[in-house]
Amino acid sequence: MTEHLDLDELLRVKDGDAGCTAGEAILDAYVDLELAGENPAVVFPGTAIHLESCPGCRADHDGLREAARRFADVTPPAG
Amino acid sequence: MRGESSTTTNTDAVRPALDRESELWVERLHRDHPRHGETVARLHDVLLRIAYHELSRRRGLLGSISGPEFDDLAQQTADDALVNILRKVNEFRGNSRFTTWAYKFVIFEASGKVARHAWRTHPPSREALTWEQLPDALASAPGDRLERQEQLSALSAAIGELSERQREVFVAVALNDVPIDVLALELGSNRNAIYKNLFDARRNLRTRLADSGHPVLDEEQVG
Repeated sequence: MTEHLDLDELLRVKDGDAGCTAGEAILDAYVDLELAGENPAVVFPGTAIHLESCPGCRADHDGLREAARRFADVTPPAG
Repeated sequence: MRGESSTTTNTDAVRPALDRESELWVERLHRDHPRHGETVARLHDVLLRIAYHELSRRRGLLGSISGPEFDDLAQQTADDALVNILRKVNEFRGNSRFTTWAYKFVIFEASGKVARHAWRTHPPSREALTWEQLPDALASAPGDRLERQEQLSALSAAIGELSERQREVFVAVALNDVPIDVLALELGSNRNAIYKNLFDARRNLRTRLADSGHPVLDEEQVG
């Protein structure tokens, strides 16, 4: 039944999609929840849905999550 | 589509207290703080490292750019992100760690600059935006069941019935893999508006297929 899955992917739409702008505003909070081991979809369900369908926002999300994880220990100058 | 207003935590009503480290960043980025210059330099240093990493991660859209040109792009990305952070630091509400909030600026700068570079050097062709026929990967093959052939035929007809903008966006992004930000630049629009066009096009196509007796089953229905 692969043929159906192909069309389902091509025409993917889900109710509750928050769109790009809403996700941009909270992407940092979303990523921090993920890195803390929590499920961001509980707090930001519309953005969780959106990230499944929007390649642009997903790329930003993946980049931010990677940066926040790799550079988590950067602190301001002491004193 | 709807926003995240009911569940979004970045409102004054639910503003959390800043964690100590975030508080230090904000304090020391204030222009009157004695450690201001040092703090700005440290932030810029990490923004530059992230810019290099992020531009490398998106290298597929940057073509053959390398050497001084790549360095210059990374530098501009970090510089522009820093300017925006310093301008908006007073708007930081502590809904995330300060660093995650700040890193968002450099990721968005990298995203925008990569799209602009890709659009300038390889703008989408007219063919990538024009509806002609389903791509080979989807086109009906001789061995397909009649039901599948009819469904694809109905999809093809439905694409032709979309509004001009919805058809253009669906054909470019969904069928020809044009990056959504590159298409936005080509059409003088923005990502959010293009995504909305794509969302509406997909919903319309699903409705038209269902109305013509060829509904697209989702994953659970296919089982």
